[in-house]
Amino acid sequence: MLMLCAVFLPICAGAALPLWRPHDRRTRQDYVVGAACATAVLALLAVFTQAGSAPLVLLRLNDHLSVAFRVDGLSRVFGTMVSLLWPLACLYAMEYMSREGAEDRFFAFYLAAFGVTLGIAFSANILTMYFFYELLTLVTLPLVMHSMDGKARYAGRVYLVYSMSGAALGFIAMVFLLQYGGDIFQFGGSLVSGAVDKNILLTAYVLGFFGFGVKAAVFPGHKWLLRASVAPTPVTALLHAVAVVKSGVFAVIRITWYGFGPDLIRGTWAQDLMLAAVLFTIVLGSSKALQTQHLKRRLAWSTISNLSYVLLGVATLTTAGLVAGLTHMVFHAVLKITLFFGVGAVHFKMHRDFVPDIEGCGPLMPVVFSTFTTAALGLMGVPPLAGFSSKWMLATSSAALDTPLGYLGAAALIASAILTALYLMQIVLLAFFPRQNRAISVKIPKKARRDPSLRMTLPMTVLAVASVVLGLCANQVARTISALVLG
Amino acid sequence: MLTTKIMYGNWLVMPILYPILGGLIASRVHTLRVRRLVVSTILILQMLIVLPVLFYDGTPYVFLELGGGIRLVLMADHLGRLFSVLICAIWFAVAFFAYEYMNHEGHRERFFGFYLMTLGALMGICFAGNLVTLYMFYELMTLCSVPLVLHIGTRKAFDAAWRYLAFSVAGAGLGLLGLFILQGYCTTDLFTAGGVLNLALAGEDRQFLLAVFLVMAVGFGCKAGMFPLHAWLPIAHPVAPAPASAVLSGLITKMGVLALIRVVYYLYGWEFLLGSWAQKTVLILSLITVLMGSTLALREDTLKKRLAYSTVSQVSYVIFGLMLLNPAALEGALFQAVFHAIAKNALFMATGAIIYKTHLTQVSQMRGVGRVYGITMWCFALASLSLVGIPPTGGFLSKWMLAQGALDADLGWLSYGGIAILMISALLTAGYLLPIVTNAFFPGKDFDSSNLVKQQDTWLMWITLIFLVAAVVLLGMFPNWLSPSIDAVVGDLF
Repeated sequence: MLMLCAVFLPICAGAALPLWRPHDRRTRQDYVVGAACATAVLALLAVFTQAGSAPLVLLRLNDHLSVAFRVDGLSRVFGTMVSLLWPLACLYAMEYMSREGAEDRFFAFYLAAFGVTLGIAFSANILTMYFFYELLTLVTLPLVMHSMDGKARYAGRVYLVYSMSGAALGFIAMVFLLQYGGDIFQFGGSLVSGAVDKNILLTAYVLGFFGFGVKAAVFPGHKWLLRASVAPTPVTALLHAVAVVKSGVFAVIRITWYGFGPDLIRGTWAQDLMLAAVLFTIVLGSSKALQTQHLKRRLAWSTISNLSYVLLGVATLTTAGLVAGLTHMVFHAVLKITLFFGVGAVHFKMHRDFVPDIEGCGPLMPVVFSTFTTAALGLMGVPPLAGFSSKWMLATSSAALDTPLGYLGAAALIASAILTALYLMQIVLLAFFPRQNRAISVKIPKKARRDPSLRMTLPMTVLAVASVVLGLCANQVARTISALVLG
Repeated sequence: MLTTKIMYGNWLVMPILYPILGGLIASRVHTLRVRRLVVSTILILQMLIVLPVLFYDGTPYVFLELGGGIRLVLMADHLGRLFSVLICAIWFAVAFFAYEYMNHEGHRERFFGFYLMTLGALMGICFAGNLVTLYMFYELMTLCSVPLVLHIGTRKAFDAAWRYLAFSVAGAGLGLLGLFILQGYCTTDLFTAGGVLNLALAGEDRQFLLAVFLVMAVGFGCKAGMFPLHAWLPIAHPVAPAPASAVLSGLITKMGVLALIRVVYYLYGWEFLLGSWAQKTVLILSLITVLMGSTLALREDTLKKRLAYSTVSQVSYVIFGLMLLNPAALEGALFQAVFHAIAKNALFMATGAIIYKTHLTQVSQMRGVGRVYGITMWCFALASLSLVGIPPTGGFLSKWMLAQGALDADLGWLSYGGIAILMISALLTAGYLLPIVTNAFFPGKDFDSSNLVKQQDTWLMWITLIFLVAAVVLLGMFPNWLSPSIDAVVGDLF
């Protein structure tokens, strides 16, 4: 019951917003952040109290088909991560969107997306998950197209086309799971064995992998994420670095570990194909990030690369790999949101979008750039901060496969780490060490600092601190995830 | 007893953390005199903090367990203590020079801040108890020294710093890759004299592990300027302000060497590598670097760049020595590391003093400088003698021992070739350093010194020079002040 409340409350709250049309920003802020916090509380309560209980069936369509919800280990990890990040993002968005306009419409869909993401997290079977997955695309589409200019509309079209194509492929996988699988997701796979030729099942799985993988930006389904960077920063930060893309990863984990089952796929051509696609995306994402000069697109390429880190862990089809992948999923979410928030603050305050324009902005916006630097160091994998442990665990699980692709996976991770260091440090160095002729030679007085207001700096600071703490406690985080997911 | 153990362990963090915090504090002090006082105090206290560590016994202390079986460990064994003393002493001395020199440059708070933070990172590398900890401080060292390279803020400085960052990160990444593969074959992650390989497992995959070693050697050798990842050094070292060039060439390169020593002697164990193709390959790479560095130095007119090429060459002497895998060669390598560190710091600072006073940067412009700035050029001359290897300066002793070690290693043409290359390089070194000295002191009849005196200097500049040059000469004449420490390291391993 709690789960349903958590899922539907924000959807209703969001729907109410354009009807109510609050008069001033303050009221809207209180309402939106309040709704987000309330949902987060409900979701966390559900996560902590309803683990392992029987699935709650909302709609029963026939013997095999039902819309059902359940809280299992994976839901708890994903649900907690999303719930803790959304209220912070709402706070940031309140400030940011004050300059973008059409806030009622924006927050209606922003809140609704929260509910839909929780719906994906709490889905008990493939049909429910698919339903909310499609809904997520529809609910985030207006957010991508928010500014409604040519580029935004085009981005929205690309997003829609890619998502729908992906969903179509996913549909095929879903049909197979419904036909030959059990009613609800089960760890280790819910397929009834022996029913059909293995290769057909593998083909269905691979289609599902690339289909659901579109949201997870696996090559070749990654282009939309770049186009979507025209969306306002709260959208790119939360949705396209955390919610939407991590839902894609979540869905892939569901069909791999809870649907088709790792035993079916392990050692087959399907696994090799997955590993190859994932490897390629890791290196592609990092190399392109280095070449891009547009800040948000650079971070988008970085996201593409990091998502495939997580999928590499999943593709190893070992429990160690899965835990490593999930740990990185959590760390990356926190780090990437911080980075996007920083870049968004620079756009918001100084209207600068490109790397060369950032030169010397460090002392002008100290809070923004210190949090950016902290998150950058974490993402680069400087020990003892967050990224190092998760990347190490991923590389270990990949190399443990003891196959050429496995070793290539570890090598790809290290190559990507080197590239990540370069494309992130370039921004940090330019910001804090401007060249002579562009230097701000006078010490910046406090009044002239252009840091954004508390509504933006508070989430950034909280997240930067969280990333450091997570890094130092990486061991505990990994063990908690392991305990939750593996039981 | 347990609390004492914990206390000892925690104290090891002090020499690392303290300069880093000190650097952050110093960068906030804007008054010149106060800042100089703060920096000097921090450096003096640093030496006092390191003092008790010199009595430690090399027990590893585990500090942090990160996920996946990796942990951060610190320990103070002979090797770490030797380098830490060297670094702290030189860092202190160079700071005095920097006070005066940096009057030329802006953003001084930033400079001293990162100067101190780099010291903390270097201490971390010295006291690292396993390769992950070493890697962590290695990256920190790179991140803290990049701002030193790009300090003057020109386009060239930026390009140099970017190149430095890219090469360093790539090199460290190769080292990490090697570690990552190696960990499956190690009995423990802690640095242990003699190596930690599980010989049964390692024996089966010997060729693979040798290849991995080569990758790690190239990766860590990057910081030491070893071919093939040397291209950043001649660009990054000259563009930094002179005190930064001094510590980059003198000490930071040695950290690459230290990492390599740890990998060779404390992870793989010299017995595993002895006689292998991997050993020979790294020896050949180091010899190529020795020759290449000296040859390129000869043709270079910009003085700082000439010294940078010289660093490339001289540090590879150390790598050559440590890769010969016998006690005499290792002893020679360590002596060479110490003497080169001191002498190269002295050379860069003498150069910096001349640049500061005359605004001249090219060798061809240095005619007659010795007539006007006698002390500076005398120091330059003595330090050069050490680099060439002329007794009684320190460089002679280290090169002698390296030659001895090459013969001991009994590697046939590689031994003799190595000695020949050392000789040729010594001649080349004389060729690129001594003419500077002679031109400076004997400029010829038509010499006009009026355009040389641009700025007066203070005692701050030449006190450091005299101190370092005295060290190089005295230690060369009385090596038994240094021998116990070095022999202790060698004794641990053989």
